[in-house]
Amino acid sequence: MEGQMKNNLGKRIVGTLAIPVIVAVVLLSLCALGGRSMINTALGFNNFVSYTAIVMITTIALSINLNSGRFDFSLGAIMTLSSVIGAKVSYAALAGGEGSAVLMFAVTVLSGIVLGLISGVIYVFLGIPPIITSLGVTLIYEGITFTITQGRYLMTEVQNDSMRACRNTWIYSALLIVAVLAFIIYVFDRTRFGCNYRALKEGQKVAVDTGIREVPNAIACYTVCGGLMGVVGFLYAVRTTNIDTSALNFGSIGIMFTAFLPMFIGGYISRFSNEKLGFFLAALCMSMLNSTFAVFSNEIKASTQSIINAVLLVLFLIYLSNEYRIKAFFRPIRK
Amino acid sequence: MKKIIAMLLALVMVLSLAACGGTGDGNKPKEIKIGVLVADVSGEEALAFRNYYEKYLAPHYGVTLTYTEQLEDAAAEKAAIETFAAQGYNAIISLSASDRASQLETCAQYGMYYAIASGMDDALYAEHKSNEYFVGQIGPSMTTEYEAGVAMGKYFKEQGVKKIGIYGAFVPNPMHVYRLAGTLVGLGLSYNGATEMEAIAGQLYAGFDLNAVAGDIAVTHYIAGYSDTMWDELGAAMGAGIDAFISVGMATTFFADMLNGAKLPYSDIDSFTSGNGKNVKEGSLKYLAGKYASSVGPIFAAVINAVNGNAIRTPEGYALSISQSYLVATDAASFDACYGADQGDKPIISTETLDTVIGEDVTYEQFVAIVK
Amino acid sequence: MKKTLEKEAVLRAYKRKQLLITLLPALALAILFGVLCALVSSKGYRLDIYLKKILNEGVVLAVVATGAIFIYSLGSFDISLGASTLFSATLGVMAYNATESFPIMILVIFGVAIGCSLLSSVLASVFHIPVFVTTVAMMSVLTAVASQIISVNGGALGGISIPSKLVRPLDTIEFKLLMLFGYAALCIFVFNFTKIGRRLKFLGGNANCAKLSGIRADRYAIVAFVMAGIGVGLGAFLTLVYTPSVTPTTAGGIGMNVIVAIVFGGMPISGGPRSRIYSALMGGFSYILLNNILKMLISGNAGYGISQIVSAVFFLAVVYITGMNYRTKLLAR
Repeated sequence: MEGQMKNNLGKRIVGTLAIPVIVAVVLLSLCALGGRSMINTALGFNNFVSYTAIVMITTIALSINLNSGRFDFSLGAIMTLSSVIGAKVSYAALAGGEGSAVLMFAVTVLSGIVLGLISGVIYVFLGIPPIITSLGVTLIYEGITFTITQGRYLMTEVQNDSMRACRNTWIYSALLIVAVLAFIIYVFDRTRFGCNYRALKEGQKVAVDTGIREVPNAIACYTVCGGLMGVVGFLYAVRTTNIDTSALNFGSIGIMFTAFLPMFIGGYISRFSNEKLGFFLAALCMSMLNSTFAVFSNEIKASTQSIINAVLLVLFLIYLSNEYRIKAFFRPIRK
Repeated sequence: MKKIIAMLLALVMVLSLAACGGTGDGNKPKEIKIGVLVADVSGEEALAFRNYYEKYLAPHYGVTLTYTEQLEDAAAEKAAIETFAAQGYNAIISLSASDRASQLETCAQYGMYYAIASGMDDALYAEHKSNEYFVGQIGPSMTTEYEAGVAMGKYFKEQGVKKIGIYGAFVPNPMHVYRLAGTLVGLGLSYNGATEMEAIAGQLYAGFDLNAVAGDIAVTHYIAGYSDTMWDELGAAMGAGIDAFISVGMATTFFADMLNGAKLPYSDIDSFTSGNGKNVKEGSLKYLAGKYASSVGPIFAAVINAVNGNAIRTPEGYALSISQSYLVATDAASFDACYGADQGDKPIISTETLDTVIGEDVTYEQFVAIVK
Repeated sequence: MKKTLEKEAVLRAYKRKQLLITLLPALALAILFGVLCALVSSKGYRLDIYLKKILNEGVVLAVVATGAIFIYSLGSFDISLGASTLFSATLGVMAYNATESFPIMILVIFGVAIGCSLLSSVLASVFHIPVFVTTVAMMSVLTAVASQIISVNGGALGGISIPSKLVRPLDTIEFKLLMLFGYAALCIFVFNFTKIGRRLKFLGGNANCAKLSGIRADRYAIVAFVMAGIGVGLGAFLTLVYTPSVTPTTAGGIGMNVIVAIVFGGMPISGGPRSRIYSALMGGFSYILLNNILKMLISGNAGYGISQIVSAVFFLAVVYITGMNYRTKLLAR
């Protein structure tokens, strides 16, 4: 009995860490073969942690609604609009002085929460498929962003000592990773809301028939997603030192696509441990890939990076969707 | 039944489109109306041009000047021209370059004058220079772009840099290709053995390869485009101990804060804005080549003349093709000289200057003189 | 007796409401068309040029969206249609420049478009990958490859092109309407008068039930993608007819606008038995008309943001009303 438990634990640890370890070994080997190191400066490490946080939080935000069959194109638009509001308000209040980053973070997250809430209310009120609602919401939020900024890059508002201090350390990004993970794991795995969410995810009709109130649950999901995209908006502004606000006509949906591969990897890892931890490990893999691309940027152009990401996504999905066949194919060989 | 009704309605709608084609009341314009095609609505340079046109020139000359939204492709450009044609506009000034040949052909089809407020490919100009609706192009030619790159490269070579990073902006955008080619030559470098403008530019369209660069100065890092890895790549370059970061465009938008923070000398070919003033005075922007807002004034004057029936042509009778150079700032004083001379109501090319070349008896030489 | 009469009255009222909701997309198109004509006349603009422009803008969207109905009827959706259009046009231009043969260019355009579509469907149906994710990957790959081809071969012009005189004779209203209605007629025939359309709708309505009835889902998915591929090919060809050049941003907005057009045309995104070919035509042209009206009414740089907001609100309102028929107690997914 004890031995079996140990075996299970061992299997879970191996299953959880297999992909990140394989990715790390492969990428570090590639870097070593090319005579380079994946991360060679403190700034590189700061960027690595910050990118991990961005990918992880975006993936969680995407998966919350997508797991429930609600496709949301508006994540990128919420991210941009919330960070624009945060940047404008903090600059108006402090003119880039001390505490600007803290104020911008707070206002950006709050704006994200409100925008997510509005998005959820629109979905519930209209009663039409969420993918369609999200198309309309995306256009509306992009339009508002453009109207506020006239499409200009926001630079003055986010280029100050306070924001620079955030960029010059990995600590804040790491703290955000821990805080978001703790919050999401608590809310979705340890509360009644989380139980209801999972029940609705697995069987909408049965859950509603048993008395679970779907409307507040859905609105809360959108609100949480909005808040998370606010965090991403802030991190993006810190990382890129500006906010690109020129997107119109669905120009903002690109960020969503970066979260697909980590979402599926996280889903696979969740077989062995917590799904959110899986998203973190998947984001770590994506960040390692990103840093490797940066190291080999002369050899691997941006267009090639897109192709590699897309091919990895397809290959991983082919594996996931045909796992039992692949295992059946190799079984006779093992024997 | 419902389907049939719906289908019939659709058919009626679309056939109406066809039926209306070729008819129209053909309102005659009572005032001069100019449409401006833009591919960039958010860049500092684009906004400076816009302010000059809309707030300074248009009210003075009583001209209706209308900007398009950000035009993404050739189809959007053509659709915008058709909208202007439908609204009775007389001319188009283009700052969008997806398909200039198609823009010109569409303008000619609707009897509108067409002008380009930036550089233009020589072969394309040669092909269309006889078109009566083509007013011309005034802006940095590809040779000027190349020369701007050469000057920037020389500046850093004279500063004694040994190890540099380069931001190639949006290569294979031709403007950036020629600036990059010039930068390499200015630094005294060769590219796959080539040291001449066309020979290098021709190769750069296929992408930039660090291994192809040879010379006394080491180019250790090259960044291009806009991607998630850009800031990591710059971080790696800074970590590798480069002496300077040379950009052929947009670095002040994407990287200024990082470069200023690290006090790493850098350069850019951009525009004279208050933000860039701060980068020069408080940051580490050591070399800035840029256009000034009123540099788009002469093409406006040429368009007004054409619409009024006084088109200015070259002595051979062709459309105008005049190159404009960049202004350069390397310190606070030279920045202020460029920036301060081109402000609000007192631009470098004022209405008083333009008045001297708007009218019936203006010669080509007079016109070239104010552009230069 | 009185109760029966009351029931009949209620039934009639219900039927009227249903008819109104079904006809709403057509009604919206007619109203938008009327508003545009009135606005253009009141401002003294030239209606003939405006209508030509709207046809030019709408025809590519309508053609691609019409083909996409086959995929959407299955309850799937394809976000890579814009990228496929770009890729087909790119290889078509390359083929012409290599051979100087117009027929070969057309063959390449349609061959590549159908090939891309088939690849998506094979990945989706043979490897059992979610269609949407497949098309996300296809979008990235096709855009990246097309951009690379264009940048290497475009040189100083920044794009690749064919001689404009080659396609200028085809840049007419008559030719575009012929292509649009010809393709729409083919799609209507296949969708409404053959077992393919019925089975696609059956699969979209209830895939399990359809499979249990012996319908091969993967086979019909491939047919759906081939029909969509033909639409993409025609869209790519008409794009070149309008402007004979291709840049990396060509047809960039089509992927998302197709979804908007189809939904705007009154078709549920879940596909199934309520799928209609004419939704794409109605929705595509309605969307273009709406945008043109708003641009006339709201000017200035910030106006583009405001007109997008108004357009989105209008879109949601129309979808809300047309979706009244399908509302359930549960939240839609």
